[in-house]
Amino acid sequence: MIKVEIRDLHKSFGEKEILKGIDCDIETGEVVCVIGPSGSGKSTFLRCINCLEQPTSGTIKVDGHLMDENAKNIDELREDVGMVFQQFNLFPHLSVLDNITIAPILRKKMDRPTAEATAHELLTRVGLGDKADAMPRSLSGGQKQRVAIARALAMKPGLMLFDEPTSALDPEMVGEVLDVMKKLAIEGMTMVVVTHEMGFARQVADRVLFIDGGVIAEEGTPDQVFGAPKSDRLKGFLKAVLEAS
Amino acid sequence: MGFFELLAQSMPLFLMGMRLTLELSFVSLAIAMVIGIVASLMGMSSVPLFRAINRTFVAIIRGTPLLVQGYFIYFGLTGVLGIRMTAFTAGVIALSLNAGGYMSEIFRGGIQAVDPGQTEAARSLGLSKSQTTWRIVIPQAIRICIPSVVNQWCITIKDTSIISVLGLAELTKMGSQIIARTFRSFEVWIMVGILYFIVIYLLTVLARIVERKVSLD
Repeated sequence: MIKVEIRDLHKSFGEKEILKGIDCDIETGEVVCVIGPSGSGKSTFLRCINCLEQPTSGTIKVDGHLMDENAKNIDELREDVGMVFQQFNLFPHLSVLDNITIAPILRKKMDRPTAEATAHELLTRVGLGDKADAMPRSLSGGQKQRVAIARALAMKPGLMLFDEPTSALDPEMVGEVLDVMKKLAIEGMTMVVVTHEMGFARQVADRVLFIDGGVIAEEGTPDQVFGAPKSDRLKGFLKAVLEAS
Repeated sequence: MGFFELLAQSMPLFLMGMRLTLELSFVSLAIAMVIGIVASLMGMSSVPLFRAINRTFVAIIRGTPLLVQGYFIYFGLTGVLGIRMTAFTAGVIALSLNAGGYMSEIFRGGIQAVDPGQTEAARSLGLSKSQTTWRIVIPQAIRICIPSVVNQWCITIKDTSIISVLGLAELTKMGSQIIARTFRSFEVWIMVGILYFIVIYLLTVLARIVERKVSLD
């Protein structure tokens, strides 16, 4: 079943065209990793999927529903699309528990005890069962990001977007976040992950998109993309990334 | 008559003046907060007319002296419109419009200082625009605004002395009345100054406690 259908997606900021026509289908349960040089448009691509950026032209459908900033039901549509940000974006004035329960209580009209029980469950799943009452400022980067994942999961989304979720982390904390994401992938979550973690992409992705210059320059299974890159651009990119690590 | 004898003798009048100063300040600041919130929301509205109204309002408040604003409302406006209002009402209108104009800029700055990532995270969870504004942005903006708002409170409390020209017997006016009877300018202005100072000082101490309590760092 197709979860996300993207057709001829263009996005410009002022004069500058960032996305120059992207077509892509994402199946339910699929894990898609998006790689590419910085400034290539990968984050913009991801942010268009839940309409944090309104496409300049082209369409994005999630479960057949058009994602449009001006759609009346855009808030509802976004409830089904969880997002995890590079900078975590936890709500600093709310406890970990309240960060996780605020959306289910406000949007799904869940009563507080149920929402809190779900939140405790989710925190246990991401290995932070003892942090419910902590404030975000007291957490490490890795812990913050795991709370952010729990917060997104609390809405029981059918699709999760990850925007470079480990790029702002100290190296020793990257593993704990990737482990949570791996578990999610195994459980069958549909995921789109913009990442620089080639090891993760190789191990977890069903499909890898290489975005360069605002288009999908190459795509395939991890084995195809990492093992037998066809285009010179991808070869060059992989070489540069491998040399850096 | 020594300093303390003068002080003791003048205290009842000082307290009456102080009471009026505090009433003027309190009522004006309460209204100014509401004006400030509404005006700042208008300033950030997507409706161009609202933004234009806010810009004009703030420009007028910032561009003219409070004394002129007070005179205009109490003498100018009442004359032209043929209405009557007490000096207290006129003073409250002038002070609350004046402080409201500055507050609107403080609030706008505070709201715009909240990390855009906060709005994105809230919207990505499905929160509506207004839920995002009231649950996520405003609580953080208030924390950012506290020092500037308290600053404006201090300014407005002291600005009530300017409004005394409308004939309000607040603290400063009481001071000059006492001097008219005793000719003790030096001592009386020191006393008046100290009384203002005490009020402002208590307010800032209180504000610092609140600030520390709600701090996110």
